[in-house]
Amino acid sequence: MEFVMNIILSSVRMATPLIFLALAELYSQRAGLVHIGLEGLASIGSLVGFLVSLITGSPMLGVLAGAAVGILVNMIFAYATVTLCAEQIVYGMAINIFAPALAAFIYRVYFGAGSELVQVGLMNTLSGSLGITSDNFLVRLLLDQTPMVYLAYGLVIFTVIYFNRTKSGLNYKAVGEYPKAAATLGINVIGVKYLACVICGALAGIGGAYLTTCYANTYVDGNVAGRGFIALAAVIFGRWSGAGVLLACLFFGFCDALQIRLQVSSFGVPYQFFQMIPYVATVVVLASIGMKKAGPKSSGKPYLKEER
Amino acid sequence: MKNSGKLVSFLVPIISILLAFIIGCIIMAVLGANPFVALESLWIGAFGSLRNVGTTLARSTPLIFTSLCACFAYRCGVFNLGGEGQFLMGSIVCCYIATQSGIEGLPAILLCLVGGAVAGGVWSLIAGLLKVYRGQNEMIITIMLNYVATLFMGVVYTNWLRDGSVPQTQAVPDATQLSRLFGLRVTSAFVIALVVGLLVYYFLFYTSKGFQLRAVGLNMTAAEFNGFAVKKYILMSFIVSGAIAGLGGSAELLGTQFRLINGFGNGYGFDGVAMALIGQLHPIATILVAIFFAALRVGSTTMQAATGVPTSVCDIIQALVIVFTVAGLAMVKLPGFKAFLGRLTERRKEAA
Repeated sequence: MEFVMNIILSSVRMATPLIFLALAELYSQRAGLVHIGLEGLASIGSLVGFLVSLITGSPMLGVLAGAAVGILVNMIFAYATVTLCAEQIVYGMAINIFAPALAAFIYRVYFGAGSELVQVGLMNTLSGSLGITSDNFLVRLLLDQTPMVYLAYGLVIFTVIYFNRTKSGLNYKAVGEYPKAAATLGINVIGVKYLACVICGALAGIGGAYLTTCYANTYVDGNVAGRGFIALAAVIFGRWSGAGVLLACLFFGFCDALQIRLQVSSFGVPYQFFQMIPYVATVVVLASIGMKKAGPKSSGKPYLKEER
Repeated sequence: MKNSGKLVSFLVPIISILLAFIIGCIIMAVLGANPFVALESLWIGAFGSLRNVGTTLARSTPLIFTSLCACFAYRCGVFNLGGEGQFLMGSIVCCYIATQSGIEGLPAILLCLVGGAVAGGVWSLIAGLLKVYRGQNEMIITIMLNYVATLFMGVVYTNWLRDGSVPQTQAVPDATQLSRLFGLRVTSAFVIALVVGLLVYYFLFYTSKGFQLRAVGLNMTAAEFNGFAVKKYILMSFIVSGAIAGLGGSAELLGTQFRLINGFGNGYGFDGVAMALIGQLHPIATILVAIFFAALRVGSTTMQAATGVPTSVCDIIQALVIVFTVAGLAMVKLPGFKAFLGRLTERRKEAA
């Protein structure tokens, strides 16, 4: 029972960065922009979040800085894909190469060649800041979480309502489905796409910063470890809906939690086999859902205003 | 117009490289180094002596393989991001054959190279089958398989083939190692890479199968209506690109590294993608780009020693080149830019 409870608790923790990243992808794709560069955005967000929280001593500021740098880097993507109509997949790849290189460079310059591991304090959990200590499972599940976890779930609820219940949300979705029709209805298609890039950059940056401010207390190159791509899979698996994405992220978070637990209680099996679980699960899940296409219809296609 | 199009596609990467270097120099200056001294030591480190040239070419060899892998797949419209995983699977199988089979010398080398290529091809085929028969996004699948391959290599060097207390595999026997060329660091693996590049070039541009493969890449629907076996070509591009990467993995193990160890092949997959894109999916151009970036890396070590600028500034330059190139290539395709070019050429005609 202890084992199961621990796995549930750590699933919630591990799912949180995925939720931020998957929502980033969702907002991007709903505006017709496929973004495979989340991995890169998260890595720079993770480094900047780490540095700022190290310098200021405030993990909250670290998260904000992660969001800011995510937006900044994603503006390159926005300009190239929305204004210059570059191929989104290729440009996402360019971001995936550029942003981690930038992160690694800043780290080297800031800390010099000596690779002594620098650590920062992590964000307090709600029960920690309220001074509640309890071993009760429900208390731990609901209260022993960082504010970022509540933010993630709040954003999911907001997203579901926004895309299904508000006019602005429907307009936003129209841009991803059929931009030309949206434009004739007076929706500013280019504007929405840029807005999408701001949201996507911010959320991806937060998702990265979560890793260094709430999860691990240090930064290492490659700490995003494929989460950007798993989030992409979560959006597909969650059928482009807020609730679906949440469930998909919880599932992948569970795989990650299971992997960590199994590593600890290793049964003489090389630990790398356990580490493979999240990646193999992603492949298996994608393979099992098959061909059905449910995404925004104009996702991935450039929008040229002049084209008739 | 066709000629000016070719000129533009040649100019864009050149301008991108210049821009990236200018930004790189600004960064160096900000860090307090003299950019001209830095660039000079970069050049000397990469090409300053025959020995350094040899090192540069040796460093470029695995990059050529992974970039050709990306190049071949993208020509068929397949975004194989799994070059790294395929490279690693090739090197793992190669390591088994070289250290465990008991065969040594030329037969072992041939067996290793073939085994590596087969392993890479099979690993890539997993993603291919999932794409063709389950309609899955090959990018996510190949990336996930990269992580699995990296972890699997971890099992091999920390457990199954571990050499004593150090987490690394046994070394490839001397007789099975690829021979060096002219006593330099560069080995016959580089020659293999060039031959593969020429074969890819010949296949893509001078055979009817290559033409059909490119047609599938340009417009899948049109190719299907023309009766091309689209699925067959997609699967073939997965297998061949994976085999190229796997061959690269064995060549790297037999030529340069000799042991599997933490960090082996790390980043080569994405580097290959970057180089193929900068080389605009032309195999020969891709090889030149790979050599260029290898030079940058080899030179950066000398640069760091001379000026204290960290080597990772070269990764930034490489990343900037791709950011600029892809954006630049998109820009020249914009209707507005085309009209601007048209006006320019018209004016020139009027003047003449």
